[in-house]
Amino acid sequence: MKITPRPAAAIMSLSLAAAVLTGCSSEQAGGEDTSASEAGCKSADVRLVGQVRNESNPYEASWLAGGDAFAQSVGLKQERLTYDGDSTKQQEQISQLLAGDTKCLVMNVLPNGDSDTPPIVKGADQAGAYLVTQWNKPADLKPADYKTWISHITYNGVESGQQIGDALATAIGGTGGIIALQGILDTAAAKDRFAGLEASLKKNSGVKLLDQQAANFSRAEALTVTKTLLTKHGDNVKGIWAANDDMALGALEALQQAGKAGKVAVVGIDAVPDAITAIQGGKMTATVSSDGTWQGGIGLAIGYCVATGKLKVADIAADNRAFFAKQFLVTKDNAADFAQPKSNPADYECGNVFNRVAGPLT
Amino acid sequence: MSAVPALEVRGLVKHYPGVKALDGVDLIVRQNEVLGLAGENGAGKSTLLKALVGLVAPDAGEIYVRGEPVKLRSVVDAADHGIGMVFQEQSLVPNLTAAENIVLGSEGAAVRRGIYRWDAMRRLAQEQLDKIGSHIDPLARTDTLTFAERQMVEIAKVLRIEERSQHPPVIILDEPTSVLESKEIETLFAQIRRLREFASVVFVSHRLDEVLDVCDRVTVLRSGQSVGEVATAGAVPRELHRMMIGSTGSDDHYHENAAAPVTAEQPRLSVRGLSGKSFHDIDLDVAAGEIVAIVGVHGSGREDVCRALFGAEPTTAGEIRMDGKKIDLPNTRAACAAGIGYVPAERKIEGMVGSMSVAENMTLTKQKARCTGPFVAPKKQATLVDSWIRRLSIRTPNRDTAIGRLSGGNQQKVVLARWLVGGDIRLLLLDHPTRGLDIGARSEVYRLMRELAASGVATVLLADSLEEAIGMADRILVMNDGRVATEVACPSGGKPSPLDLVKEMV
Amino acid sequence: MTAEEVVTAPRRQSRRGASFRDAGPPVALIVIFGIFAALSPQFRSIDNVQNIVDAAAVLAVVTCGITFVLMMGSIDLSAAGVMGASALTVSLLVANNRNDNDFGLLGILVAVLLGCAFGCLSGLALVLLKVPSFMATLGVSAIGLGVATLMFAGVQPNISDAMLESWAIERFLGFAYLTWIAAACILVGWLIQRYTRLGRYAYAIGGAEEVLTLSGVRVKPYKIAVFTLAGAFYGLGGVMVTSQLGAGLVQAGDGYDFSAITAAVVGGTLLTGGRGGILHSAVGVLLVMVLTNGLVQVGVSPYWQGGVEGLIVVAAVAAAVIPQRRRNQVVK
Repeated sequence: MKITPRPAAAIMSLSLAAAVLTGCSSEQAGGEDTSASEAGCKSADVRLVGQVRNESNPYEASWLAGGDAFAQSVGLKQERLTYDGDSTKQQEQISQLLAGDTKCLVMNVLPNGDSDTPPIVKGADQAGAYLVTQWNKPADLKPADYKTWISHITYNGVESGQQIGDALATAIGGTGGIIALQGILDTAAAKDRFAGLEASLKKNSGVKLLDQQAANFSRAEALTVTKTLLTKHGDNVKGIWAANDDMALGALEALQQAGKAGKVAVVGIDAVPDAITAIQGGKMTATVSSDGTWQGGIGLAIGYCVATGKLKVADIAADNRAFFAKQFLVTKDNAADFAQPKSNPADYECGNVFNRVAGPLT
Repeated sequence: MSAVPALEVRGLVKHYPGVKALDGVDLIVRQNEVLGLAGENGAGKSTLLKALVGLVAPDAGEIYVRGEPVKLRSVVDAADHGIGMVFQEQSLVPNLTAAENIVLGSEGAAVRRGIYRWDAMRRLAQEQLDKIGSHIDPLARTDTLTFAERQMVEIAKVLRIEERSQHPPVIILDEPTSVLESKEIETLFAQIRRLREFASVVFVSHRLDEVLDVCDRVTVLRSGQSVGEVATAGAVPRELHRMMIGSTGSDDHYHENAAAPVTAEQPRLSVRGLSGKSFHDIDLDVAAGEIVAIVGVHGSGREDVCRALFGAEPTTAGEIRMDGKKIDLPNTRAACAAGIGYVPAERKIEGMVGSMSVAENMTLTKQKARCTGPFVAPKKQATLVDSWIRRLSIRTPNRDTAIGRLSGGNQQKVVLARWLVGGDIRLLLLDHPTRGLDIGARSEVYRLMRELAASGVATVLLADSLEEAIGMADRILVMNDGRVATEVACPSGGKPSPLDLVKEMV
Repeated sequence: MTAEEVVTAPRRQSRRGASFRDAGPPVALIVIFGIFAALSPQFRSIDNVQNIVDAAAVLAVVTCGITFVLMMGSIDLSAAGVMGASALTVSLLVANNRNDNDFGLLGILVAVLLGCAFGCLSGLALVLLKVPSFMATLGVSAIGLGVATLMFAGVQPNISDAMLESWAIERFLGFAYLTWIAAACILVGWLIQRYTRLGRYAYAIGGAEEVLTLSGVRVKPYKIAVFTLAGAFYGLGGVMVTSQLGAGLVQAGDGYDFSAITAAVVGGTLLTGGRGGILHSAVGVLLVMVLTNGLVQVGVSPYWQGGVEGLIVVAAVAAAVIPQRRRNQVVK
């Protein structure tokens, strides 16, 4: 799940406890200032930081786990930062980081929203810290215009929306009604994924979209909305397209409560562990994996390679500065491969870090 | 009648900062009698009553209950000694039933282990209501009852202390008649006479005829002292009133020397036929430089008239003109724009923002005076505020001090200054401007009022006491039951006597 | 002021029971239901009515809790955190995929007691540390989410406890077990409100706290008890969400704090305290659920729903408070 809706209340208040924690962690960091030349840090001097919204959902937890795994592979430790989906807090954490020793600092950051990216990028650029961002950035802000903002990685939501749309069409035999559960309507992820579904519908003319409702990426809301839609459309519903797995799982619960478990195909995006399990158990049809573990590792790996001089920013192809990463359609056939997310050290070799580029971000 | 008094107070003293509220009060309440307590505003009645029910700890003096000295620390303490009070602002929980209110705090058998026994509760409450022969449904929600009915509930509630203390209770009634209609008052009086059979009653009222009607004896308070005791048989209100007012010093407390003669021919404020919820058909003219006081008992409607003039109270008919120009009603902005200023009685609640600075409070209304365009100009504000702090000799550490930290008199000057900083004030409505102020501070407020009058500001004054109204006003309007009863000229040197006014008020 | 208000207060027909000003929300419920029923045949189907009531179950339980706090004139924003903590607790204590625990009913009890403890914490912070309830409960919510996140530890616990799973799926007289649990909560809540000192005092504190003090009632223990009681309802709410979703989610209580307050206020339990009650809130919950369901059933575009729902809620509340709007009354 990429967008974690949280009540403002929780966000505001959690900051209190977390602020204390981050305060501590930034103090213990800050290695000795060895006279490493520009882009030639010693491996031991590199400071790796992974920042996500929170650790309370499987996706972002796996991201941080991937970061840890990479850090371990080079004999370092990843500093884990979480900002509870609070933009202000994210900026505070970043500026605290940048106020310290930034010479060999590598940050793998999930910006809270598009508008949160520019200040992070500008701060890192001024401080000379190496930065990889993922998912969110304004279209006109480009890594190519900066020296230490190495890459921006994101995924093609249109593509994933279409992939599961097609998988769903196949699962219901090419004809029949489906319903769609949308994410938070004003987010790019929700828009792109739904656009993908529309493209898929065009291709599969036998499939009819009966209804679409927003369930805000939430499992509980998806449960309620699905129940309502099931009473509205009854047996006409052959399939459920959900813009993320949490909603797909909520829809599965609704089907079970309505006594329709197994009779309606369900697809989602994100490949959270429960969804993989459901696919393996035949309850769910498909999901799309962005491989959160890889995301957590690769951002640090790219930064690490540049910081230690094994990779020069100038040598990185323009298409690799901002790119769509490869994503994987997960079905019953290959679900076992995604059941135990593990990182492959080979992915993080400095020569391989751009192996998963699926296309330039346009 | 037993020889030991039910309640006795000796030499009770209570200081508040700047004021001596009680200055050695003596009081005796005999068993099975109704004692009246009379006194002007600020004579110390309410402080005395609060001391009797444990809400105020006296600085010195003794309270005896049936001959035993007692220390009353709380309402519960007082109730345990058999003293209970029916408060002026009714103290019932509006959203509970009458029965619950009656037994509140001493539910006894009505609540067992936290579980309500509604039957037992109804019975318990009915017992109390039976004592006063009331037919109120004990299970009616309190806020569905009339004021008079609620008063009965309150009396029934207070009577619970009879079971609590195992003694005949002392019941204090603080201004119980102030909002009752005459028929309801009759019922109340019958009730009081019934209470006398098994209790002692202390009755407090502004209306002297009532005091004389229902009480056996009256104790008069003045300036925190008991100044006399009158058996009501054969007494007349006039006599009581003389004791209440006393012979005050004839020094120029009200700065009458500074009173400027009123010369304007056209009235500045002209009110015709103004009517609202609690006042009817009010006519009123105030000339520039004139001070007109409105007097009347509690409930006469004068406060509402004052608020209505400022547009803060809805009106149903009539018009208000300033220098001949009609003002929109009810609209406080229009009033401000017309140069009308209002100093409310509840200074701490309506008059000022306690946490804000002197400067902020002073420039709250007339923003233009401190601003350049839409922005506050700090220099301009500082100069302006400082000049008024000097002119009114406001004692404050500096203009940025929170107004809540100043003394009452200085707070009041800041509130007044708020209307003066704009330089366009034409009419001031002063609602109890000296309430809660000590003598020195009062005198300064009086001086200020004179100066403003001399500069041509018209003033409508709701005075804190009759004496103050007579001292300050050029003319006095007497209100009774929402109407202007009479108008009395009150020029310097030809002041009317308070008794003449009282006649019209009651 | 008191006196004046009383003199002019209109006399109402009934002195004991509900007065006319309480009739607004039920009337609104019937009207809105009627409109949707007329517009959509699916909406008025038995299936959908069951669906609405079932969907209301969790919100009803949470609203029961919050109603006591609102009656007292305080506010409680801790529901989200408490529910999250309780959801994780129960999912880790009953049979699940994370550990070998299988405490069944006992686990549910522990989760509810945990809710009590959080509620008690809010109450103590309010009474002893004088932290306004708004901040105190917001803080407790954060603590709850923190505790939940710790228990979550990166892997979602999925429950396999047959009983807890059956709550959401099995039906009795057409309604899910959860709905019957919610109905029981409303009944218990109503009994507490009507027949216990705790409930009556909560009501009275909202009406006129000073009067209670003047009558020699010690108010503080009751405030703490009310928050504790509310916490128990949130705890149960967290358990119910877990039963519905089949998994313990940190976000189990997401949005329930504000939805519950909305439902309570729409039902006539005002934020100023001393008004309304459990039954009012139950009506409010149904109103909110009918609204969200109805808008989907009649096919209002999801892009419009949020706005339309907000408008109707504001209109309903405005209509409910018209009878008691008084001049110069400050609304915050």
